[in-house]
Amino acid sequence: MRGYHDIGGDTAGEIPQQELPWLHWEKQTEAIRNLLGDGTRRIISLDEMRRGFESFGAEKYGKHSFYRRRLESMIDILIEKGVISSRELEHAVKEKKRVWDENSKAGIE
Amino acid sequence: MTKGNEHDHDHHDHDHSEVEHEALVIEDDVGNIEGQIMIDALQSVLISRGLLTAPEVTKEIQQLESPGIHLGAKVVVKAWTDPGYKARLLSNGKSAIQEIGISVGEAQIVVVENTPTVHNLITCTLCSCYPRSILGQPPSWYISKAYRARTVREPRKVLEEFGVTLSKEIQLIVHDSNADMRYLVLPEPPANLSAMDATKLEATIGRDDLIGVSR
Amino acid sequence: MSRQDGCRFKVNDCVEILDLGKAGHVRIPFYVRGKIGLIIQYCGRYLNPEDLAVGKTSGPTIDLYRVQFNHSELWGVSENLSQDRLVIEIYDHWLKPIEKIVEES
Repeated sequence: MRGYHDIGGDTAGEIPQQELPWLHWEKQTEAIRNLLGDGTRRIISLDEMRRGFESFGAEKYGKHSFYRRRLESMIDILIEKGVISSRELEHAVKEKKRVWDENSKAGIE
Repeated sequence: MTKGNEHDHDHHDHDHSEVEHEALVIEDDVGNIEGQIMIDALQSVLISRGLLTAPEVTKEIQQLESPGIHLGAKVVVKAWTDPGYKARLLSNGKSAIQEIGISVGEAQIVVVENTPTVHNLITCTLCSCYPRSILGQPPSWYISKAYRARTVREPRKVLEEFGVTLSKEIQLIVHDSNADMRYLVLPEPPANLSAMDATKLEATIGRDDLIGVSR
Repeated sequence: MSRQDGCRFKVNDCVEILDLGKAGHVRIPFYVRGKIGLIIQYCGRYLNPEDLAVGKTSGPTIDLYRVQFNHSELWGVSENLSQDRLVIEIYDHWLKPIEKIVEES
C-alpha cells in the first residue's frame, strides 16, 4: 500500500525557491484546525486531517495547494463525522460569495 | 467551486514510476478568493453550532504569527555560549527550549549538531512536519513536492540548488521527520564567537541555517 | 530518552522495516519498507497515528525509534557518498530484529 502522498524518492524538478506570503485564509484554516483539535474540543486531530487529504483522491491532491488540501480535508472530516452538514456549508458558501460579489461591485476590496 | 464530501476511496498502490510531481502548486487569485470564501463560510457554520467564537480564531491566528526564527536563533546562541546548555539541548531539545521560556507545542524536539565533518538537513516527505511552535510556518519550498521527493534521495544535489557544496570529507545526514519528533539544526558557531554579543550573534542566524539548506 | 521496560530494541541493534500492507494513514514511507538499518535513538512512547487517524485515542502507546540507513541500502548504487545517511522515525510494530552480519564502522 503506497499512498499518492508518499513521494519520498520520486522524481521531481527544480525546487521553487521563491518566497510566498502566508495569506490570511491560510492562517485562518490553520487556526481553526488547531482550535477544533484542542483539549476542550478534540474534534479533528492532526492525524485525522492527514488521513483526510491522503484519501480524498490523487487528482485533488495533485491539483490543490498545501493549505487548500488541509481545508478540503477538514471539511470532509467534519461532514463525515456529522459535525456539520454539506447543505449548511453550501448555504454558507453561497451567502459569503454573494456578499463578496456585492462588495466587489461596490468597489470595496 | 469545489466543496467537501467527494469520496474517492483510493486504497490501492499508486504507481509512482511515471510520475514527475508538479514542484509546487500555488493558488491563483481565483483560488485564493475561493479559499477565503470557503474558510469564512466554514467558520460561520462552526460559530453557529457553538464550536468556535470569532475572537478565539483571531487570537489563535495571533498565536500562529508570533513564533519565528528569532526564537530558534535564541536557542542556538545560548547553545553556542553555554556548553552545559548545549549538552542539555542535544539530550532533550524540548525541555531545554522550554527552559529559556519558549513554549513548545510539539511532542519532542531533536536538535542535530553541525560540525566541521557533519552537516544535517531536515525534511518531511509525507507532508510538511516542521517545528512550527518555535519557528513559525515553514517556507513554501520546504512544503513543495520537489523538496519532499528529492531531499531523501539526492540531498547533495538539493543542497547545490541552494548554493551549498559539501566537500567529500563531510558526512551529510538527512532527517525525515515523519512521526512525533521535530528537528532543529544547530549550526556551527562563527570563528569570532567571543567577539560578538548575543544580540549580534542572533542576527547572524537565519531560517535556512536551522533547516540545513545553508552552512 | 532512555529505554523503558519492555522496549524490544536498543541503540545499535540492526532492524528490518516491515511492509505491513496496511491501508489508510501510516507514517512509514514506502522508500524504507523492506530495508535494513540501525537503531540510533529511542524516542519514547506515543499513541499510534494509525489509530489517531480514525479517532481512536485510547491507546496503546507504541515505542518509537530513530533508525539510520545507508543511501546504498535505500537507492541501490547511488550518487550519494558512502558516509552519508538517512534517519527516520519508525514505530515498534514496523520493526523486525536482524542478526548483525558486519560491524558498522
